[in-house]
Amino acid sequence: MGGFFSTIFSSLFGTREMRILILGLDGAGKTTILYRLQVGEVVTTIPTIGFNVETVTYKNLKFQVWDLGGQTSIRPYWRCYYSNTDAVIYVVDSCDRDRIGVSKSELVAMLEEEELRKAILVVFANKQDMEQAMTPTEMANSLGLPALKDRKWQIFKTSATKGTGLDEAMEWLVETLKSRQ
Amino acid sequence: MFARLKKKIAEEAAIAPRPGGATRIPRSVSKESVASVGADSGDDFASDGSSSREDLSSQLFRRNEQIRKLEAKLSEYAEQVRNLQKIKEKLEIALEKHQDSSMRKFQEQNETYQANRAKMAEGMALALAKKDQEWAEKLAQLEKDKRLLTAQLQEMKNQSLNLFQKRDEIDELEGFQQQELAKVKHMLLKKEESLAKMEQEMEARTRELSHAQEELLASSQVSSNLSCELEMLQRQYSALEEQRDHLLAAETGAESKITTLEQREKELQMFIQQLSVDLQKAQGTAACSEKRLGTLQAEPESLKLENEQQNHKAAVKAEEGEKLIEHLQKKVLSLEKRLEGNLSGEEHVQELLKEKTVAEQKLDDTRQQLLAAKTSHAETVSLLETQITKLNSQVTDSHALLHEKEEFIKGLRESSLSQVKELGEMLQISDEKLKKSSEIMIEKEAQIQRLSSLAEERNKLQQQVLVLEQQYAEQGNRLEAEIAALEKTRASDETAASHQIQLLEEENANLKENRNECESSLEAHKLELKKLKEEWSQRETVNVEIAKALEETRKQREDFQQQVADLTTLIKEKEQFLNEKTKTLLQKEEEIDQLKKGHDIVLLQLHQLQSDMEACRCKKAKREESTGKELNVLRLQIEEEEEEEETLEARGEPNVIVFGETAKELSDDLYPLSSDERTLNGEVDCVDMVQLQKENRDLEQQIIEKNKTIKQLQQRMLELKKTLQKELKIRPENDIFEVREKPSPEVPTASTTVTNNSDLNDSREINFEYLKHVVLKFMSCRESEAFHLIKAVSVLLNFSQEEENMLKETLEYKMSWFGSKPSPRGSIRPSISNPRVPWS
Repeated sequence: MGGFFSTIFSSLFGTREMRILILGLDGAGKTTILYRLQVGEVVTTIPTIGFNVETVTYKNLKFQVWDLGGQTSIRPYWRCYYSNTDAVIYVVDSCDRDRIGVSKSELVAMLEEEELRKAILVVFANKQDMEQAMTPTEMANSLGLPALKDRKWQIFKTSATKGTGLDEAMEWLVETLKSRQ
Repeated sequence: MFARLKKKIAEEAAIAPRPGGATRIPRSVSKESVASVGADSGDDFASDGSSSREDLSSQLFRRNEQIRKLEAKLSEYAEQVRNLQKIKEKLEIALEKHQDSSMRKFQEQNETYQANRAKMAEGMALALAKKDQEWAEKLAQLEKDKRLLTAQLQEMKNQSLNLFQKRDEIDELEGFQQQELAKVKHMLLKKEESLAKMEQEMEARTRELSHAQEELLASSQVSSNLSCELEMLQRQYSALEEQRDHLLAAETGAESKITTLEQREKELQMFIQQLSVDLQKAQGTAACSEKRLGTLQAEPESLKLENEQQNHKAAVKAEEGEKLIEHLQKKVLSLEKRLEGNLSGEEHVQELLKEKTVAEQKLDDTRQQLLAAKTSHAETVSLLETQITKLNSQVTDSHALLHEKEEFIKGLRESSLSQVKELGEMLQISDEKLKKSSEIMIEKEAQIQRLSSLAEERNKLQQQVLVLEQQYAEQGNRLEAEIAALEKTRASDETAASHQIQLLEEENANLKENRNECESSLEAHKLELKKLKEEWSQRETVNVEIAKALEETRKQREDFQQQVADLTTLIKEKEQFLNEKTKTLLQKEEEIDQLKKGHDIVLLQLHQLQSDMEACRCKKAKREESTGKELNVLRLQIEEEEEEEETLEARGEPNVIVFGETAKELSDDLYPLSSDERTLNGEVDCVDMVQLQKENRDLEQQIIEKNKTIKQLQQRMLELKKTLQKELKIRPENDIFEVREKPSPEVPTASTTVTNNSDLNDSREINFEYLKHVVLKFMSCRESEAFHLIKAVSVLLNFSQEEENMLKETLEYKMSWFGSKPSPRGSIRPSISNPRVPWS
């Protein structure tokens, strides 16, 4: 019955909670992005051992956003959270040219998962405010994004500390999620 | 090196069982991942199995030959080692000798140095002692002098202090003197001021006095004038009194005359009065007689009138009586008629008759009375007529008398009038005289009164003058007395002031004397002070000289001390040199020990190399067997999948060949590597080294390539497994297990490639924190979020599928309002959901 009501409510008001994962290597800025999206402020973060989960409302859509810790030792546990995921925000440090390969391999391994087959991929080329940041096209190429098939993806250049690019990315995400419904 | 090799071999052994496949999407194979895996996993000798056994045997022969060569080299090394040992012994002996000699030399040097040092020290000590004694003596003398000087100084200070005290006293005395002088001066000034005031007052008083005297003079003059006037007035008075006496006498004469005249007047008046009285009497009698005449003349007339009236009246009465009689007669007639007519009432008639008789009697009475009255009246009238006649006769007589008398009076009157006129004139003259005399009298009396008033005024003025004079005299006396008193006081003040001044002057003189004495004593003291200062300067110079001498001695002392310090530094340096030498000796000994140890190690390494060689041989054999097995398995698999994937097989075989080739090369390189180790420890040619390094690089490159192929093969293996499972419809549990195994090798750390226990522990340590966080979140977060966390929790805690399902069910039950499980909440939930029914 509860489910019935909730479905009615969701169909009436479109307030079903979308489940979004924020993934990426450690130090890419996932937690900062999460709290920038939720409260609109830059918070001081410590390395996430575990995860953070917050409810973010954007354009009348509710998102249950999961920010999973990106440290090497806990990266294997990402797969525990893949089920029922609507979208994946993959955050990459634009300045970390050394580990972009690692990032790519992690991304590829993630996208191969069956549970994430229908998930939309949004790549945040973060830390664009730094001087030595890579361009989004450069990053898309080095992450092998153009080779992706059967996947809705988009790359955005963002800066969590300055708050630039996040709105455009969320706009695109909302539009794609709505159109997919 | 050998340890590393062993590790690598072990790793290879661990990785080797994984079959490889080359059907990976090329984009997924990044350089980084390959590099990381290659770094972790190392060489893979599994590909050796692909090469033929013949090649292997030939390789083995080659290796054996190499080993023999190495053994020969080993024996050479052993010889070299022996030679080195001999050399070492020689070196040790030489060292000992050197040590002995150096030690001896050191000891000798040390002894000589110490002897020299002792001698020097003794000499220095003696000299120092002497100088110390001398200086002590000098110091004692100086101290004595110093004491004396200090004592003198103290005395001087005391004296100077006394002087200062005396000076202070003198200053104080001078101050007092000045103060007293000032006081005296002040008092003098005050007295002078009071004197000036008194003098001013005196002057004012004298002025007043003179003024009063002037006034006195003026008043005395006035009084003299007045007295003159008085005298004059007295003379006039006396004259006037004489005149007055004369006048008074005249007055008396006049008065007597007047009295006589008055008497005569009175007599005359008396006479006149008598005459007037007579006249009046005569006139009175005349008037009376005239009145009598008048009355008498009026009386006959009145009598006549009365007579006539009485006659008239009598006539009236008679008529009336007649009338009454007639009336009564008529009545009697009427009554007689009535009697005739009424014989019955005889009694009544009788009575009437009686009444008639009474009335007739009354009539008769009244007639008689009338007649009497008529007769009286007639008699009186006759009397009166006689009297009138008599009176008329008398009036005529009196008239005659009157005329006579009137004529007499007229004469009298004329005579009296003349006499009165004369007397009046006389009276008038006398009156005038009297008036004049009285006027003069009045004037004189007024003059007398004026004079008397003037005399009184004069007396009063004189009295006032006297009073004023007395007052002035008293004032003058008082002022004089005051002046005298003031002069006395002034004199006394002056005397006192002069006395005080004298005293003060005496004191001043005394003080001056004192001051002079003090100054003289001060000068004496100053002289003494100068002398003492001179002495002090002399002493100071002496002191300075002594101090200089002391400084010189100190300098000498310091020089000696420096010399001593130099000597001690020299000794220290020498000791340090000795220590250094001993240290070098010890180092040399240590070096010798190290050399010995190195020798032992070399020997041990040799043994190890031999043992490694044997182990390598054994492993080779094992590897050959394992590779053979793997090859067989792979071939079997490939044969099974040949129908589906011919292309894969086609790719697989060349890979195997490549593996075989690499394995050959590796086995070739193994022996040279071992020889390299040996040559590194010993004396080897540089050319060999370079060659070995090159070979090493080549081998590393080959290893990288092999790693790549191994990765590809592993991926292919996985894919093949998945497809196989799909085809065989194996349960997903196995898949999960395999999936669970998968992440650990995929984590791109250097350590996780092998199933090391230590690495597992590390990951568990990190995972514990992760587990803690996840469980905390799982317990605290919302149910919808918790539902997503079930999998993570179950993975972390190694839950079984059933346990995981149970968790999911319970969570679903909690999330939904109507659970399948009966629970205590069921009674509450409907109560919340029931109110909704009426709305829907």
